Amino acid sequence: MWSTNRQVAAGDVVIIWQTRELIQPLLITPGKDFNSRFGHYKHVDFIGIPYGSKVGSRNGKGFIHLLRPTPELWTMALPHRTQILYLADIAFITSWLDIRRGSRVIEAGTGSGSFSHSVARTIGSTGHLYSYEFHEARADKAREEFVRHGIEDIVTLTHRNVCKDGFTVENSVDSVFLDLPAPWDAVEHAKKALRKDCPTRICCFSPCIEQVLRTVNALNDAGFTDITMYETLLRPHEVQHLPAPLPLSHIIDKLKKMEQNREEKRLRQIANASKRKREDDLKGLEADKRARTEESSALEDNNDQEGSTFQATPLASANVGFATDPSQVEAPPAKVNLAKASPEVRGHTSYLTFARLVPISNPTAENIEGDAVATSS
Amino acid sequence: MNAAESASVSGHGGRNDTISFGHTVLFRLPNGEVRSIKVEKDSIISLGRVGSFSAHELTGQPYGFAYEIHEKKLKRLHPRTMEDIEETDATNELINDGQFVQPLTLEEIEALKKSGVHASDIIKAQIEQHANYSLKTEYSKDKYRKRKEAKYSKSFETIEPTIHNICDYWFKKDQNRIRDIRSDSLSQMLNLANVRPGGRYIVVDDASGLLVSAVLDRIGCEGRILSINDADSPPAYPVLTLMNYEKEILTRVLSTLNWATAHENYTPLLTPSEPPSGRIRSERQRLRLDKRKSTSDMLMGTRQELFAGEFDGLLVASEYDSFEIVEMLSPYLAGSTSIVVQSVFLQPLTDLQARMRLIPHYLAPSVTESWLRCYQVLPGRTHPTMSTSGSGGFLLHAIKMYDHSKDFLT
Repeated sequence: MWSTNRQVAAGDVVIIWQTRELIQPLLITPGKDFNSRFGHYKHVDFIGIPYGSKVGSRNGKGFIHLLRPTPELWTMALPHRTQILYLADIAFITSWLDIRRGSRVIEAGTGSGSFSHSVARTIGSTGHLYSYEFHEARADKAREEFVRHGIEDIVTLTHRNVCKDGFTVENSVDSVFLDLPAPWDAVEHAKKALRKDCPTRICCFSPCIEQVLRTVNALNDAGFTDITMYETLLRPHEVQHLPAPLPLSHIIDKLKKMEQNREEKRLRQIANASKRKREDDLKGLEADKRARTEESSALEDNNDQEGSTFQATPLASANVGFATDPSQVEAPPAKVNLAKASPEVRGHTSYLTFARLVPISNPTAENIEGDAVATSS
Repeated sequence: MNAAESASVSGHGGRNDTISFGHTVLFRLPNGEVRSIKVEKDSIISLGRVGSFSAHELTGQPYGFAYEIHEKKLKRLHPRTMEDIEETDATNELINDGQFVQPLTLEEIEALKKSGVHASDIIKAQIEQHANYSLKTEYSKDKYRKRKEAKYSKSFETIEPTIHNICDYWFKKDQNRIRDIRSDSLSQMLNLANVRPGGRYIVVDDASGLLVSAVLDRIGCEGRILSINDADSPPAYPVLTLMNYEKEILTRVLSTLNWATAHENYTPLLTPSEPPSGRIRSERQRLRLDKRKSTSDMLMGTRQELFAGEFDGLLVASEYDSFEIVEMLSPYLAGSTSIVVQSVFLQPLTDLQARMRLIPHYLAPSVTESWLRCYQVLPGRTHPTMSTSGSGGFLLHAIKMYDHSKDFLT
């Protein structure tokens, strides 16, 4: 599966990581160019470079990260042909279905191959994945990918509608995964495909609760037991490096000063008003215009005279705020690392309906008790 | 491959799929309780109130079957499917709490049990005597029957030793001892770290061996695990016991170093494996010296293996400072491999992320929280389960990059 060599070679599929949002696969083809907003590259530039290296562009416009594909990176980078499965669902399904080295697994449908690559990695060369896709063009594309990624020996891809025609294997697989619009139509076929010498497992992946209810009934009718249903999600958290919160005393002092300034201003206005009244009385209305031009200078005088009386900071400093506060300049606020859940996240993918199929007949058990407890009502 | 070939008794991936003597088996009792019992040769397995039976009844059986105990013998039970419940007009309008409804006395029930009457007949007798049973809704009747079954049934089920089941068992039993790793988080760790057959991984496991067991299971006992721990001697991993691996597999695949011996500039104090007098005096001394030599050879070999590096991934669930751990062990990772750190607390991973993102050889450190919701899906009664685990904990994932970079401008 993909290259296991330390260095990139011609013909390798690599993952070009530009940003978290811009991750893409690239088939290394000598003679071809790779251009992006992070610069200009020639494919041959990548040959011989160890996987996991940062590569600078030819035109100095930036750099890219050269990564070895993994099923998880492939899920982030793959060309979407359908809605795909993501990490949280894939991991949980793999765990519940007990998919491991050597497992024989059925998957329908193949879709964009996100789940297929993960299963192929986990089962390895001693396991086998039977993948079914009813859309012919999608099946062809997926088959090409499986060959390019070196998993064609692990995955057998069949173009067929499994709800109508069933699977190609019988009494053979350890687990079945159904990602179909009507999984209930494939449940009996799945039962046929599962091995009967030990307990086996099934998972149906459906976005709607109505589908779940129909699936549960079909599973129950077919004799599956331990039916459970889950939803699983990943909540990404964003880490931010932010100033530590200031102590309350800080804002209390600030508010006190603002209040003081406001009071100072009010008293000044009263003083100005009575002064103006006196002047008006003195000089009469015709002198009014001249008196107003003098007001601004009088205001400054006022400050000089009355500053000591109020023991307040000048009005101007209240407007500028804390940027000029000498204590702030001397000690910049400490920073802390804080995390919050990302504001926009995937809220639902699908419901995962799981069940076990426990074989009724077992060659090693001599006696099989009838449905003793179940009929006891 | 045909069906007959695939139906081999031994499981794939190094795991045993049938019960043998020496296995530690999980038993699920009718009331939901799970017990872990070692199946020893010629022993009697006692499941308390449920009953007891001879161990050899179980050996050779595939894991995951249900049985009923009948006079110390086991009878396999058919798998039970769900029964549809017919809606009636009954409500709890006329049922009051605290009313005397069960004339059947405790002594009478005990006498029934002693006479060997089947659990289903005891329940039937109780229902017949129950004053208000007929007033109950069908759902309530179903709940009543299930409650009584849990009490009187002589049945049990063996639990398949899948890593999912073992994680669930430990999570319910004592989640602190597995550092609160829930099965969904564990599965994400395995996928994020790209654990696969044949891979080589460095594992830091202060979670009773859950992480080591999970990686072992995922590589299918084919590959290599280097476990770094804080113990002077190789640690006992209680979770690993439930996997029932052959000892030979473990010695081949799993090696351990402690934080001191994993340090490159530390020289372990090895007990001399040469005789002090220059010659071996006795056979016993020779054996002792040989053992010493192989122990120290193994330690030095494991150290060399770590320092040679190029491992395929680092998985951490530890009580120690995660930044120190990542800085100490990431040099031994190959380029483009994954670092996965688990914590039940968010703050340590927040700080770890903030520090790692300033260092160029860690690509895109990101923090995620696992969310899981379980539903009851009984016919006509589908809803999320009422009590659930609050959080699956947090994971940090980053990709290791090589420090050097090729710059085409220079």
